Amino acid sequence: MIETTVVYILLALLVISGTAAVFFRRVINSVISLSVFSVTLAAVFLVYRAPDVAMAEAVVGAGLMTALFLVTISRTQGGDH
Amino acid sequence: MTLGKTATLAFLVILAVLLFSAMGALPETTDRMEAGGPTWHILRSAVPDTGAVNLVTAVLFDYRAFDTLGEATVIFTAVAGVVLVFAREAMVLSGKGLSPLAKKSMDILTPFIALLGFYVILFGHISPGGGFQGGVILASWAILVVLIYGIRTEEDVLTGFVKMFLESAGALLFVALGAVALIGGREFLSNLAAGFSPGDVGSVISAGSIPLLNVAIGLKVASGLAMMFVTMSKKDGDS
Repeated sequence: MIETTVVYILLALLVISGTAAVFFRRVINSVISLSVFSVTLAAVFLVYRAPDVAMAEAVVGAGLMTALFLVTISRTQGGDH
Repeated sequence: MTLGKTATLAFLVILAVLLFSAMGALPETTDRMEAGGPTWHILRSAVPDTGAVNLVTAVLFDYRAFDTLGEATVIFTAVAGVVLVFAREAMVLSGKGLSPLAKKSMDILTPFIALLGFYVILFGHISPGGGFQGGVILASWAILVVLIYGIRTEEDVLTGFVKMFLESAGALLFVALGAVALIGGREFLSNLAAGFSPGDVGSVISAGSIPLLNVAIGLKVASGLAMMFVTMSKKDGDS
């Protein structure tokens, strides 16, 4: 029961953060929103008992991709940070 | 509403309908557990076959180890591409790093992040995780060091040459472990059949070649991704 509630909250957060990532005007905000999306998705995987996938999603999605996105943005916007 | 927007909306609605109808066509979880199916087979025989308690790792590094080699090659190619595009004589982006407060916090955090990374790699066949996840944790550790201490410190500790060496060593270790099986006339990358000891199932030293393959992949992923980030975060000297 409580598991179902948790999943519904997480799925709602997934939709919100995913939509926000598309609609934010500043690219930085979108990247942060995508990072929130990844952490939430990792939590969903964990609830569905897939800890291996959850761990990969958390470290790659929230950690590595965010860092690479930020570096790319700071390189392409020419000192605007 | 313009024509373009209407067309986009119609496309999205059709896509959503198709996706939702496809979700209904997915097989039930219980169907795939039926006797004789792949799930059933792996649940029954993965532990005696491979000696690994974590069945995901058993699939990744034993039954489908060749696919894992392919994935490792994909990362290798990606890193090689990034280094090829970005590597020129470059000046550092953030040479000095952040404030002393951030540096002090990182001093405290460093051993724990490293410990978590090595734990996830070495216990990949027992608990969730494995070479890839642990490798990315170690790469994030290197990224944090670059961000907080500045890129110069990171390069003092681990030069680009060392990272390149570690990545190639990881790839070669993986292939060499696979080639051990060829000596006995077995298939490439076969595990217990090639004479690797299953050990005491559930302990750290068990599951034959799986922990070694995990270490190889961990080395490769960690050094490869760290090299990718360091290369990208350097700035061109002329800009």
